Amino acid sequence: MSRKLKDSLLNSITYLCAFLGVLVLGSILIYVLINGLKLINVDLLKNDYWSKNYLVAVENDQSSTFECDGCKGYFSSKWGVSFIDEVTSHNEKVISVEYIAENSPFEQLTSLTAGETYGQIVPMEKGYMIEKIDYIDSEGNTAIAGKILKQDAQALQESLDNASSITSIYMKSPGGGIRGSLIATLYLILISLIISLPIGIASAIYLNEYADKSKINRWLRQGIETLTGVPSIVYGLMGVSVLFPVTTVFGATGTSILLGGLTMAIILLPTIIRSVEEALIVVPQSLRDASLSLGATKSQTIFKVVLPCCMNGILTGVLLSIGRVIGESAALIYTMGTFISDNPVINGPATSLSLMIWSFMSAEQPNFELACAISIIILSVVLILNIVVKIVGKKLSKNFV
Amino acid sequence: MIDASKEKKNKLIDGICKTFFLAMAILSSSFIVILVLFIFMKGISPFLPGYEFGQVNIIDFLFGTTYRQDQGIYGVGFIVINTLISAFASLLLSFPISVLCALFIVKIAPKKLSVLMKSVVELLASVPSIVYGVFASGLIVIFVKWLASIFGITTAGGSSLLAVIILLAIMIFPTITSMSITAIQAVDKDLENASLALGATRTQTNFKVVLTSAKSGIFAGAILGIGRAFGEATAVSMVAGNKLFGPTFDLFDITRTLTSTMLAGLKETSGLDYDIRFSVGIVLLFVIFFSNWLLNSLKNRIGKNS
Repeated sequence: MSRKLKDSLLNSITYLCAFLGVLVLGSILIYVLINGLKLINVDLLKNDYWSKNYLVAVENDQSSTFECDGCKGYFSSKWGVSFIDEVTSHNEKVISVEYIAENSPFEQLTSLTAGETYGQIVPMEKGYMIEKIDYIDSEGNTAIAGKILKQDAQALQESLDNASSITSIYMKSPGGGIRGSLIATLYLILISLIISLPIGIASAIYLNEYADKSKINRWLRQGIETLTGVPSIVYGLMGVSVLFPVTTVFGATGTSILLGGLTMAIILLPTIIRSVEEALIVVPQSLRDASLSLGATKSQTIFKVVLPCCMNGILTGVLLSIGRVIGESAALIYTMGTFISDNPVINGPATSLSLMIWSFMSAEQPNFELACAISIIILSVVLILNIVVKIVGKKLSKNFV
Repeated sequence: MIDASKEKKNKLIDGICKTFFLAMAILSSSFIVILVLFIFMKGISPFLPGYEFGQVNIIDFLFGTTYRQDQGIYGVGFIVINTLISAFASLLLSFPISVLCALFIVKIAPKKLSVLMKSVVELLASVPSIVYGVFASGLIVIFVKWLASIFGITTAGGSSLLAVIILLAIMIFPTITSMSITAIQAVDKDLENASLALGATRTQTNFKVVLTSAKSGIFAGAILGIGRAFGEATAVSMVAGNKLFGPTFDLFDITRTLTSTMLAGLKETSGLDYDIRFSVGIVLLFVIFFSNWLLNSLKNRIGKNS
């Protein structure tokens, strides 16, 4: 009896341990979902991170009345524009433009900012945030309205309906989006794969098809395997000290996407080599023998018989690599910098999605909502990649059995 | 005649291909040499006489107990101790849970639950460290703050040694578990059957025969796990708090690890403050190398005893 009790106690401890694992995964998922889900929308994906400031004049001052059929928010029938109250991804309360009627004076705005852009037409779009409006009211006094006076959308609309002419508008384009970082991440994936794939596949072919068991080949293999044990932050140090001179040839002056991509290429090498090798091992020797006995040379055999058979392995390597690049942060902090760029270029600094999180999480006031929203995107990509890898892997094992 | 020239051409192509493959393999494996070489060259430069930003005393660097970038005092002695403490403590916390979880997956769980748990472990392994960092600085610190308030201690917003330990324990859990799963699956069926035939219960067999026969593989998982704990950078930096002096033994006090030091206040890309990060990188590589060597020899000793 006491042994039975002891056994079930031990068993329930293992149940508890497994439950802890589920608990951790569950709380991570729930945490990022609760905090980030409300920010996930199309605007997040297509907006710039930094909002631009505009100081504009309304060209057409003659007032007529406008109709608003079914538009949301507070509609100013005098100016043909409607406003709503919104909260940005930075947790800031703003008044943003919801609707602009046709022929509304707000369609034709000219820039008042001194410099090259002075006098140019600024297109007003839905989502722009009104900070301050200088206007002359019906009694001829100058007045101001907008967020600067802690007004809400309704108060702004009432002030505008009372205005006889508008002197200037100070507004901001919507920010807090991740478009720049998304593009930078894609560049990063492309660059690292373009460099890493050929080197990785060729190395795997050498190790599996040519290499005998000599000491030198053992060293080669050992060298590649040691790469897996190096922490990624050390790769970052390597990137700036070894690979930086390479990127200056392409016009980089400091941290750049190119440098990040080159560094990632080295980080990915062991992953790609291993998955290609695993696929090469599965290809039956009889296929190679058949090809060779038909008179094909060794290189012909490799390119026309062996490699087509291990496409699944290469695909697995690519998918695992993409996951790794999206999640990588430590190595990239050194090589790509932490400045969020809205228009990333290959030889300039930018942030990938992970780096973007790091960039504003290490700031004075961490923005948890946006961090969680990006985490959701990263996690779902990684999750999808994992599932695809599993499906590809199953097909791989079916091929020759 | 045509055949002969074609054969010659084919042989040439074959030769070129082989050389290309060999060259790529040599390139791939030479990266580790280049990596170590360059980091060493840059990392020891601050200690050499004639260093442009003012030579640093290597003894002060290795055994110093203060690290202040603003005052130009760089001592990593206490950081090494902090790193060892946080890594081994997280291993201590994570190891039993991981091993028992692996045992559950392979031997105890019903088939469907076992498949589900395996996916959970795989998912945890694929969560990027930056997401763990967000989770840690959002949720783990709140837990630590709450725990500290029970003891009547105030923490620096929850950033503390304990938060680092919990975070690292979570991060190395999937590594150790998946290695242990492989090790437990490889245990000889005959051993189990022998144990069962002698009258031991299923559970006794699992705990006394299966786990002890798989200990070599489980230990390898622990070594892999602690390697990850040493090298983890971004997530740890988010909750470590970067103490200026140390070492930290108090669970609720902020701490500083080698990796968080390398990331802290990274702004310029030249000067002593930048170069010294390479020196810290060398120290990190040494710490990883030595603890691997130590644990490996321990593993061999344990393996011999059985």
